[in-house]
Amino acid sequence: MKSLTLRNVSKTYFDPYAGAHVTAVSDASLAVGQGEFVSIVGPSGCGKTTILNMIAGFIPVSSGEILLNDQPVKGPGPERGVVFQSFALFPWKTVLENVGFGPKMRGLPKAECDKIAREYLALAGLADAAERYPNELSGGMQQRVGVVRALANNPEVLLMDEPFASVDAQTRMTLQEELTRIWQERRPTIIFITHDVSEAVFLADRVIVLSKGRVLKELAVPLPRPRVWDRLIEDSAFKALSGQVLQLVRSA
Amino acid sequence: MGNESQQSCRPAAAPAAAVAAQARFPRIVAAAQFVAPLLFLLLLWELVVRAFGVSPRIFPDVEAVARAGWETIQDGTLVRHIGASLGRVAVGTVLAIAISIPLGVAMGLSPVVSSFLTPLFRFFSVLAGIAWIPIATLWFGYGFGAITFVIFNAVFFVVAYNTLLGVARIPMPLRQAAAALGAGGWSMLTQVILPGALPNIVTGVRTGLGFAWRGLIAAEMIATNVGLGYMLFLARDFYRTEVIVFGMIVIGILWLLIDRLLLAPLERATIERWGLVDRA
Ligand SMILES: Nc1ncnc2c1ncn2[C@@H]1O[C@H](COP(=O)(O)OP(=O)(O)OP(=O)(O)O)[C@@H](O)[C@H]1O
Ligand SMILES: [Mg+2]
Repeated sequence: MKSLTLRNVSKTYFDPYAGAHVTAVSDASLAVGQGEFVSIVGPSGCGKTTILNMIAGFIPVSSGEILLNDQPVKGPGPERGVVFQSFALFPWKTVLENVGFGPKMRGLPKAECDKIAREYLALAGLADAAERYPNELSGGMQQRVGVVRALANNPEVLLMDEPFASVDAQTRMTLQEELTRIWQERRPTIIFITHDVSEAVFLADRVIVLSKGRVLKELAVPLPRPRVWDRLIEDSAFKALSGQVLQLVRSA
Repeated sequence: MGNESQQSCRPAAAPAAAVAAQARFPRIVAAAQFVAPLLFLLLLWELVVRAFGVSPRIFPDVEAVARAGWETIQDGTLVRHIGASLGRVAVGTVLAIAISIPLGVAMGLSPVVSSFLTPLFRFFSVLAGIAWIPIATLWFGYGFGAITFVIFNAVFFVVAYNTLLGVARIPMPLRQAAAALGAGGWSMLTQVILPGALPNIVTGVRTGLGFAWRGLIAAEMIATNVGLGYMLFLARDFYRTEVIVFGMIVIGILWLLIDRLLLAPLERATIERWGLVDRA
């Protein structure tokens, strides 16, 4: 079965200010099945971004290994899409060009890239923004573009690092609902990092609580889909799970 | 250097009436705002020269300058001087840009190289232009070579330094995003690095050309027998203050034209639209 596996992964950084090595991730193991939606939560500095960057191939592991379909991960690649907290849209490209960037890198002709990009923009309700530049969009719109830009490349795994942290609460809820909807349609594997406990529970099949670079606990989220806030916000199972995760994060 | 060096000549605030007028006739108002102070200067100049009876040897009146200007236009000397000056600027600038941008990019891509070279380039950016004139004449003799070298120098270090800075300042997530979308070396360069560094490159070219223009005039006073700088210097030998002042006006106007017609539109068409520059 296709999957993403982390086997005893550790990462130490050299901190030039302290003049010492810091362990950001130690001995983390994790197996994510194809099409699974996994959230990783944990307090600030517990190593969430570090784990994600290693899976993305932006930084090397210090020890252990990361396998995608039994192949070790070496450097970034288009089968692993990334959505950044800072959006990371190319300011010099229009929304259409941003979303069509992945297909363009695959060598598709321009017309084809545009077609794919428009299709994904429509999926996120952004059809009208295609010709605009990122700086002409609101934060929520920019993040939608960031998400569909990654999706348009049809990645096997989608890595998301606190993508909704910098938008307002209402927009965030909409984006969360949209994300689960799109995920159900396309079924990429998603690893979603957040420190918002209810966001983690709302989105995922499984929540992983991280503490000081270690996997503290894994919790399955057997809530039915499609998930919408109107229903879940008063749902007792949702509340119980969220409470449980919150306890773990606070004890972490 | 870098972003700090972007000069802004726009007024900090405009009266409400002017703002309203600007909304209706933007171009006319802009032109008027630009020309009015110059007309005022012209008027003041004429008044002072007349009121104090200034000797033409010290400073000419407006009419004398206009007449001298007309003469140089009619006998073709002005065109010859301008042609020589612009030719040198074009050759020196194009050469400098063609070499400094690739070099700046290459250096900016390596943090080690860029942190090593940054102080050097800052040092040479300060020296850019005029300070090289004496040694340039020793190396190249008097004439085209020495002057073009001075211009090359003025543009080269400033553009290389700004390019380096621009490349080094591209946010890491943008490069990571491109890599995660499948961009390889060449695409990374053309799609991310160059456009990302473009605001700094344009700033560098604008600043460098400013240095080059000043350097050109200075170098032409010393190292040649044709060009706008030479025209000023020659006129000085004959106490022709009206030719000197006319030449100064031409030098200023040419620079404004280069800046407004060539550099500013480039900036507007690209980086302002992208939101990479604060429209101060
Ligand atoms: N490049 C680096 N050099 C040195 N130390 C680093 C580096 N990046 C991260 N660290 C350290 O590693 C630890 C984990 O950082 P990481 O960014 O993975 O945390 P995080 O869980 O994503 O936190 P947050 O929720 O605040 O984003 C922190 O102690 C951090 O200071
Ligand atoms: Mg983080």
